[in-house]
Amino acid sequence: MTTLAAITSIESELASVVGEANVRNEQVEINGVVPAVSVSPGSTEEVVAILRLVSERELVVAPAGGFTRQQVGGVPERIDVLLRTERLNQILQYDPGDLTIRVCAGLRLGEMQRQLAEHQQWIPFDPPQAATASMGGLLATASFGPLKQGFGSLRDFCIGIQFVLAEGKTGKGGGNVVKNVAGYDMMKLMIGSYGSLAVITGANFKVFPKPRQTRTFVCPFHSLQEAINFRNQVIQSPLAPMCMELISPAAGEYLSDPPVVNDPDHYAPAQPTAKPLQEWQMVVRVSGSDNILARCRRELGSAVGRELEGAAEEQFWRWVSDFEHSVNQRHRNAMVVYTHVTIQDVTTAAQALEKAAPDYNFVPAMVGRVGTGNLVMGFVPLPVDPPSAMQYANCASEFRGLLPPGSSAMVVQCPKEAKAYFDVWGSTPTDLKLMREIKHALDAKNILNRGRFIV
Amino acid sequence: MNASVVRQLRKIVGHETVLDRPEDLALYEYDAGVDKSRPGAVVFAHNTEQVSKVMRLAHENKIPVVPRGAGTGLSGGAIAAKDAIVLSTARMNRILEVDIPNQRAIVQPGVVNLEMSNAVVKYGYYYAPDPSSQKACTIGGNVAENSGGPHTLALGVTVNHVTGIEAVLPDGRIIELGGKTQDCCGLDLTGFFVGSEGTLGVATKITVRLTKLPEAVTTLLAIYNSIQDAANTVVAITQSGVTPAALEMLDGWLLRAVEAAVHAGYPLDSAAVLLIELEGMKEAVEEQAETVKAVCMAQKAREVRRAKDEAERQLLWLGRKTAFGAIGRISSSYYTQDGVIPRTKVPATLAEIERISQKYNLQIGNVFHAGDGNLHPLILFDGRDPQQREDSRSAAKEIMSFCLSLGGSITGEHGVGREKINLMPYMFSEDDLEIMVRVRNVFNPESLLNPQKVIPETRMCREITGPLPKAKVEPVDGVPV
Repeated sequence: MTTLAAITSIESELASVVGEANVRNEQVEINGVVPAVSVSPGSTEEVVAILRLVSERELVVAPAGGFTRQQVGGVPERIDVLLRTERLNQILQYDPGDLTIRVCAGLRLGEMQRQLAEHQQWIPFDPPQAATASMGGLLATASFGPLKQGFGSLRDFCIGIQFVLAEGKTGKGGGNVVKNVAGYDMMKLMIGSYGSLAVITGANFKVFPKPRQTRTFVCPFHSLQEAINFRNQVIQSPLAPMCMELISPAAGEYLSDPPVVNDPDHYAPAQPTAKPLQEWQMVVRVSGSDNILARCRRELGSAVGRELEGAAEEQFWRWVSDFEHSVNQRHRNAMVVYTHVTIQDVTTAAQALEKAAPDYNFVPAMVGRVGTGNLVMGFVPLPVDPPSAMQYANCASEFRGLLPPGSSAMVVQCPKEAKAYFDVWGSTPTDLKLMREIKHALDAKNILNRGRFIV
Repeated sequence: MNASVVRQLRKIVGHETVLDRPEDLALYEYDAGVDKSRPGAVVFAHNTEQVSKVMRLAHENKIPVVPRGAGTGLSGGAIAAKDAIVLSTARMNRILEVDIPNQRAIVQPGVVNLEMSNAVVKYGYYYAPDPSSQKACTIGGNVAENSGGPHTLALGVTVNHVTGIEAVLPDGRIIELGGKTQDCCGLDLTGFFVGSEGTLGVATKITVRLTKLPEAVTTLLAIYNSIQDAANTVVAITQSGVTPAALEMLDGWLLRAVEAAVHAGYPLDSAAVLLIELEGMKEAVEEQAETVKAVCMAQKAREVRRAKDEAERQLLWLGRKTAFGAIGRISSSYYTQDGVIPRTKVPATLAEIERISQKYNLQIGNVFHAGDGNLHPLILFDGRDPQQREDSRSAAKEIMSFCLSLGGSITGEHGVGREKINLMPYMFSEDDLEIMVRVRNVFNPESLLNPQKVIPETRMCREITGPLPKAKVEPVDGVPV
């Protein structure tokens, strides 16, 4: 049977599993590829049935949650079935007393936070597009936000995971208690596997009491080096900030609600500036009583330019989380690179951005968790002589070449045309052969997200 | 062990560092748990290259290899079958690099946990995971077991403090996973490797995260006339919004045993004590200490004491950390459990343990990480009495089944090893386990490395998945179960 015939025949079979209303032909695209059919299962059993059907026919499946990060990764050769988790959106168990929650993969983070907030709790996790992103998708893409500084990331909160392999076999790891070493840590394997090993159907998390009061201190500096020196002082101080963010001069432009788009393709500031941008900002967020906040303020001293609290503070951090999304909305041709470096290599990485971007007619803009070394770097095309597809590749290559060994630089966003010229994932210090063998062991037919992830 | 293999091993690591005489091997037939088995040879490697050569030799001769750190494990993870090679990392005990500005250190696996902290305390840093055996246990062993400790309540267990691993696979191949950066591109195999109990590879270099010492630390001792009040306090503290650095409980029987051994200053007439540590900025610690004290008093604590100075604080902790040793003075044999339950079920679980203790007429002491619901009931028995030996196992099984009935886990930090392998099917389905085996086979396809640990053979699963003794759940003092 040809692929086309296989898809036509599978539509009716999928409908018999999930009901006709849940099989659709959606006009969504992933790096230009439109899935042949989209299916929304309502239970794990239905996920199992769907995957059995498609793997028997060796069709290619892309799992999808809130559809916030589907453009990350390589251009798929084809997508036969888009497996949407949107109906798997229940909270299965939430015990405020135990500080644990068990949810289905399609639950949106915003909804989960809303439920937790009713008990003055939260998951200290603020990735981009938190309102719409699904927990399954956030796990699959190992998403993170500014709160990583103080609280760590999903790998630190996720205490259990449930998934279905391409062949339709269910598996799990962990449990619903906060400390547990029984069996292999399947959570770590699934987090950041970009849907290439299994379809995540549910997960368990530990949650935390929500801080009653927080304050944000914005500290401006004239140079990158001054900002980094200040960061080093904060690291040495007794402060334990929730967030510690470095904001580059041009990044401020994207820390606002999306304005009218002046020019969708190129760098076009909302308000053209007379003098060159040069202010680097270090932004420190802390929590505690009035007494503690006052102490923090004293420790930070004269560096503090302004303070944020309440709704303005919340909004500011939402903007920082959504930085890459904002860049993307303003410039459909922008390139965004996640750069993971050691704490001290932040300077080198920021300098690499400032060097490589202008070399290829991009404006550099970055925000980053500079206490942990997780940076989000934007390359915004200039309106005059904008970069060609090939130049994205050359720019990424120059940028990567300037980073110290052991760093990672993943291009999470760039025009799909450019993806033909380079590997968006880049190099990794971790053994690639093992990664590929694990992929083969769990998805021998390469059904899941074929061609999109590093494996 | 085959003489030619022993000869080749000596060629790799040196004559003195291969043991094969029965009297020498006897020292390596046990860990800190209950199982025993004498290996065929013990080999001390000095570097990665030697580990690789030993592994390749063993692989070619199809000899199982069991990696071993300090042998302080409690689940039989380092116990080898009679023809196996025990590969000790004890001589690989160098700290290779301390990188304070990046908050990292790179160590060989045989570095003792506490020595890591001691080496960096002068810079104002330490290595956070602190198993009670931290004076002896090695970082390599901690990585294998994903070890915890009292202070992991706020800061997490070993996996939260390891960013990179160099390891040797069973065929001798040397692999790199992660590095100094907090995250990197690709699958998180560093995270997956930690806690694999020596069944995926032998870690030969470990990059650990160093944690800044807090500005202030204080330790409270809350004293109770009823163990249930102490248990209720654990629930109440969790709900108060304060996350202590450590929240430990010792029951009355156990603290009396500890006092007899180390004079930590625990009140002899109490039914239970909570040891609560708070750390952070000094203002925060003061405020939290007031909150916690109020919570304890509201839960009918008889008294809440606060360590006056560092010496007193250390003494309180000495009692906790030497609790197991103290029991050794009293009873020749004891069996330590490691079950985990949701925190709100601590009161109900303690009541159940008391019932089980009476049913089998065995003393069960409780010392545990109350804050994260990780119990360590110590079942005392006379090892010479076969009936008591049998009863202790039955009692352990009943405790475990109760933990599982509450949605808990069979192990919080000691690992599955050999001891709890038969309990795995109660937590994981045959498919769950089969998937884990598939991933293990990528690293360790013939299961020559630490065989028969962690994951039971599928065949075995079917045979042992009988019903567990049905746990009886009764409400305690209005606490819902």
